[in-house]
Amino acid sequence: MAAAESTQDELYQQAAAIYGAALERLARSYEADPEIRRDLLQEIHIGLWRTIEAFDGRCSLRTWVYRVAHNIATSHVMRQRRDNSRTLVGLEELENMPDQQSAPDADRHEALERLAAMIRQLKPLDRQVILSYLEGMDAASIGEITGLSPGNVATKIHRIKAILSRRFQEGA
Amino acid sequence: MTNSSPPNDIRKAWQSQCVEGTPMSIDEIRRKARKFQQKIGRRNLREYIAALVVVVFFSYTLWHDPDTVTRVGFAMIIAGMLYIVYQLHHRGSARSPAAEMGSASWLEFHRRELERQRDLVGSVWSWYLGPMIPGWVVLTVGLARTNPGHLQHVGVSLAVLNLVAALVFVGIWKLNQRAARRLQRRIDELDALQKQE
Repeated sequence: MAAAESTQDELYQQAAAIYGAALERLARSYEADPEIRRDLLQEIHIGLWRTIEAFDGRCSLRTWVYRVAHNIATSHVMRQRRDNSRTLVGLEELENMPDQQSAPDADRHEALERLAAMIRQLKPLDRQVILSYLEGMDAASIGEITGLSPGNVATKIHRIKAILSRRFQEGA
Repeated sequence: MTNSSPPNDIRKAWQSQCVEGTPMSIDEIRRKARKFQQKIGRRNLREYIAALVVVVFFSYTLWHDPDTVTRVGFAMIIAGMLYIVYQLHHRGSARSPAAEMGSASWLEFHRRELERQRDLVGSVWSWYLGPMIPGWVVLTVGLARTNPGHLQHVGVSLAVLNLVAALVFVGIWKLNQRAARRLQRRIDELDALQKQE
C-alpha cells in the first residue's frame, strides 16, 4: 500500500515537473477568470494524482497527462456552459469569422492573451487540437490524445495554421 | 514574432509564457482528494437516509393499517423504493473509472460517458418509474376498499390523484426520452468525427 502510494507520488511529481507549465497554459485556455482557473488547475492536478497510479505505460506519460487534463477541463467547460449558455464554435466557423488582427504595436503578452481568448471560444475537441499544436505536438500525438484520425488532425492543423497566420501575422 | 513563419513563432511564444508553478504539495493534493471522496460519501449517505426515512414511515403505516390489501400495497411500494435505491447505487458505481480518463482518448472517454448517461435516462421506466406502479395500484385499490361508506367520494379523489400521478410519470418519462435523444445526437456527432479522414 505504502509502496504503491510512493510510486503514485513519484510518478505524479515527475509528470508535474515536466508538464506543470503546459497544464497551466492549458487551464488558461479553458478558463479566463483567474480565481476559477486556479481551482481548475488544482482539479487537474488532483485528477492527475488520482489516475496516475493506473498508468501502465501503454501510452506515453505525456499522452496520459494531456488526456486527463483535457477530460477534466472539458467537464469544467460543460458545467460553465450550463450556467451561462455560452456558444462555442468550431475551427471552420472561426476561420470564417471576421479578422481581428493585432494592432501593429500590440505586445507579445497582449497577443498571447488574445490567442488564449480565441481558444476559449472553441469547441472542446478543436480546443484540444490547437492547444496540442501550440505545445509542439505532431499529428500522431494529437490523434492519440483526442482519438481523431491522423487525416482529420492534419486538416484541423492546416486550418489552425491559416487562422494563426492571418490573425497573428503582425504585432505579436 | 516575425512575418516569415507566424505559426512557429506563435508556438514558441506560447510555450515560453510565464507560469506560476505547481499549485499544491503532494500532501495538499492527498488531503483535497480525500475531502472530495468524503463529500461524495456524505452525498450518498444523505440519499440513503432520505430513502430510509420514507421506508420507515411506510413500514409504520403498513404495520398499523388493518386492511390486508392496503398493507400489501405499502409493502410493494417499499420494495419498489428499495429497488430504486439499489439501482441508483449500482448504476452510480458503474460509472467509468477515473483511470479511463488517462487510458482512453478524449473521443472514446466522452462517448462512453454519453452512452452511460443515455442508457440511464433512456431506461427510466424500468428502474425508476415502473417499480412504483404495482404498489401504487394495489394501494389505491386497498384505500377504495376500506372506505365503502364513502366509496363514490373516495373513488373520485383517487381517480384525480391517479390522473395527476400518471401525468407526472408520463412527464418525467417524456423529459428523459428527450434527454436520451439529445445524448444520442451528440454520440452520433462524435461517431461522425471519428469516421472523418
